[in-house]
Amino acid sequence: MELFANLAHGFVVAFSPVNLLMCLIGALVGTLVGVLPGIGTIATVAMLLPITFGLPPVGALIMLAGIYYGAQYGGSTTSILVNIPGEATSVVTAIDGHQMAKQGRAGPALAIAAIGSFFAGCVATVLIAVLGAPLTKLALAFGPAEYFSLMVLGLIFAVVLAKGSVLKAIAMIVFGLLLSMVGSDIETGASRMAFNIPELADGLGFATVAMGVFGFAEIIRNLDAGAEMNRDLVQQKITGLMPTRKDLKDSTPAILRGTVLGSILGILPGGGAVIASFAAYTLEKKIAKDPKRFGRGAIEGVAAPESANNAAAQTSFIPLLTLGIPPNAVMALMVGAMTIHGIVPGPQVMQKQPDLVWGMIASMWIGNLMLIIINLPLVGIWVRLLRVPYRLMFPSIVIFCAIGIYSVNNAPVDVILAGVFGLVGYWLIKHDFEPAPLLLGMVLGPLMEENLRRALLISRGDWSVFLTRPLSAVLLAIAAGLLILTVLPVLRAKRDEVFTESEN
Amino acid sequence: MADTMGHSATATRNTSVALGFCLLALAPQIFELIWSIGTIPGWGAGRGPVTVLVSHATALLAGAPGALLGSLGGETKKTSSDVLLALIYSYPLFVVAIVTLFMTIRSAQDYVGGVILMALALFALWASSDLQGMRGFSFGAGTAPRMFGGLLVALSAGIALTGLLSDGPAMAHYSWRGPLFVMASILFFALAIRPLGLVVSAFASFMIAAFGSHETRWMEAAIVGACLTLGCAILFPYVLGLPMPMFPRFLAQ
Repeated sequence: MELFANLAHGFVVAFSPVNLLMCLIGALVGTLVGVLPGIGTIATVAMLLPITFGLPPVGALIMLAGIYYGAQYGGSTTSILVNIPGEATSVVTAIDGHQMAKQGRAGPALAIAAIGSFFAGCVATVLIAVLGAPLTKLALAFGPAEYFSLMVLGLIFAVVLAKGSVLKAIAMIVFGLLLSMVGSDIETGASRMAFNIPELADGLGFATVAMGVFGFAEIIRNLDAGAEMNRDLVQQKITGLMPTRKDLKDSTPAILRGTVLGSILGILPGGGAVIASFAAYTLEKKIAKDPKRFGRGAIEGVAAPESANNAAAQTSFIPLLTLGIPPNAVMALMVGAMTIHGIVPGPQVMQKQPDLVWGMIASMWIGNLMLIIINLPLVGIWVRLLRVPYRLMFPSIVIFCAIGIYSVNNAPVDVILAGVFGLVGYWLIKHDFEPAPLLLGMVLGPLMEENLRRALLISRGDWSVFLTRPLSAVLLAIAAGLLILTVLPVLRAKRDEVFTESEN
Repeated sequence: MADTMGHSATATRNTSVALGFCLLALAPQIFELIWSIGTIPGWGAGRGPVTVLVSHATALLAGAPGALLGSLGGETKKTSSDVLLALIYSYPLFVVAIVTLFMTIRSAQDYVGGVILMALALFALWASSDLQGMRGFSFGAGTAPRMFGGLLVALSAGIALTGLLSDGPAMAHYSWRGPLFVMASILFFALAIRPLGLVVSAFASFMIAAFGSHETRWMEAAIVGACLTLGCAILFPYVLGLPMPMFPRFLAQ
C-alpha cells in the first residue's frame, strides 16, 4: 500500500528530534496565542514567519502548522474557563462551555473539547493522506485555463463563506489582486506601479502586508476599545477532568458530526475553521431533541464545534498541498513561508518533496497528541497568562512585529510599509471590509495573472477557451451558481443565521 | 437615524463629506508637493516644489480640460503624466464630491468606504497608465492591472451605491491616540534601526508605543520594555542567526 508507505515515511521524518522539537514549540506557541485574546492566528503566523527563516523548510512548516492547530486548541480553553474566546473559531464554544464551567463542570468540558479535537485531528490526518495522491494526479491534468477557473471558484467560495457583504468581499479580493501586481511584471519585466521606489521593484512583501493588515491594525483596533478588557476568571479549582458516562454518550455523535462537517468545510476554499465551528454548533442545535438546553451548558455545544474547527484547520491543508491553492488566509501565509524557502506550492510538491508533505502530515497527528498530553495539566498556567494586561502586551507585539519585518529583508522601508498597511487595515475594519479575502487575492494574484495570460496565449486570444474546455467550464459554472445562490434572499438569510449564532 | 437628526444636520454633514472627497481628489498632488519640499535642502531626487505646484496647477486647470476637448475633437496627442493624473484620478473624484452634495447618505460607512476604495482603484489605473497594453492577443504589462483596476472601480461604485440606497451603519468612530503612537513607534523603529541599533531602537519604540494607551504605568512599562529588548537582542541575532546591528554605530566603532 502506497498510502501506508507514505505515512510511515512521514512518521520517520516527523519523529526526528529536531522536527519533534519544532512540533512541540509550534503547538505550545499556538496554544499560547490561542489563549491570549487580542492576537489572532493569522497575525501570529505572520509574526513568526521571519523566525522560521533560519530553520530547515520541513521544520519551519511543521512549526507553522503546529501554531495553527495549537491556536484552535488554546482558544477553547479560555472560552470555557473565562468566557473569552481567544480565537474567532472558539466563539461558539464559549456559549455552552462557559455555562458548564459555571456549573462546576469545567473539567469535563475541557476534556471533551480535547478528546473531540484529537479525534477530529486523527480523522483529518488520514483524510489528507488519502485524498492527497488522487487530487495531485487530477491537478497535474490541469492546463492554465483550468487553473484559472479553479482559482476563480476558490475565490468565490471564499466570498460565499465569508462573513458580511458579498460585494465588499469581492472588492477586497480585487484590491488584493491589484496589490499583488505592484513590482516587476513576470513576463516583460516592466516595473508596474512602483513609482521608481527601489524597494517596491520586487513587489509588496507578503509578510509585510499580512503583518500590517492583521498585526498592527488589530492592535490599533483593540486600543480603541480600551486596553483593559473585562476578565472574569472562574476562580474555583478545576476538579475531576473525567467526563461521566452520560457525557461521553451525548458527545460521541456530536463529535462525529462535527468532524465530518469540519472536514468538508475545511477543504472548501475560504471557509476554514471559523465557519466550521459556527456551522457545527448550528447543526447540533437544529437536530437536538431539546434545543433549549443549548446555551445552558449542553455538552454537545462544546464537542461539535471543537471537533469541527480542528478538523477544518487540518483539512484546509489539502488544497494547499495538492493544488497549490491556499483556501484561507493562514494557508496563504503558509504559501509565503514555502516560497521563502524556495518551494513553489503545487501538485509537484508532493512528488518532489515527499519529506516535506508527509512529514508535515505525520507531524499534525503527533502535534495533536502532544496538545492533549500537555494541555490538560497546563490549564492552570494558561489561565494565569490571561492576567497579563493588554497595556503591556500591545507595545511588546508592536516591537516584535517591527523587528520581525525588518529581519525579513533587512529593509527599514518594509517596516514603514507594514505600518502604512496597518493604517489601511484599521480603515478596512472601520468600514466593515474583511481583510482576509484581500490577503487571499494578494497570494493568488500572480498565479491567476500568469495562468490567465498563458491560457489566452495558447488559445490565441480567444476568451471562450474558459468555457469550451469542459473542466474549466464546470468550475466556472459552479462559481457562477454559487454567486447567484448567495445573492438570493433566502440563502442570504441562512448564511447570516449561521454567523449570528454567537450573538443570542 | 438620519430622519431624527433633521434636514439641516444632514446637509452640513454632506458638505463636510464632499469637502473631504475634494481633499482626497487632490491628495496625490498635495503629497508630491510636501515630498518635494525635501529637495530644497537636497535630500531627495525629484522635482522642486515650485515646478510641482505649477505643473499640477496647469494640469488641473488647463491641461486636462484641453486634453478632454482635444480627444473629443479626435486629436491624439501624448498627454503628460500630471494631466493624466488629473483626468483619471482627480476629475472623477470631484464629480463624486459634487454628486455627494445632492444625495442623502443612508449608510455613511458603506458610502465613504466605497468612494475611498474607488479612489484607490482610480489611482492604480493612473499608476498603470504608462504601461504597455495588449499586443495582438498577448497581454502587455499593463493589461491585467488595468483590467482589475477597472473592475475595482465598478465594484466600489456598487458599494457606494448600496450606501445611498439601503440603510446601514453610520461612520465608525476613529480614535487618534492608538494609531498615532503605534505608527510613531513603527516609524521611529524603521528610521533608528540602522544608525542606532536594535537595543536602543527597540526600547525607545516600546516606550513610544506605550503612549498609545492611557492606562500605561511608566515604571512597569520601562521594566517590561527592558526585558523585551533583552529577549529580542538574544533571540534574533543569536538564536535565530539573523544579522542586525545591535548598538549605535558611533559606539560600536
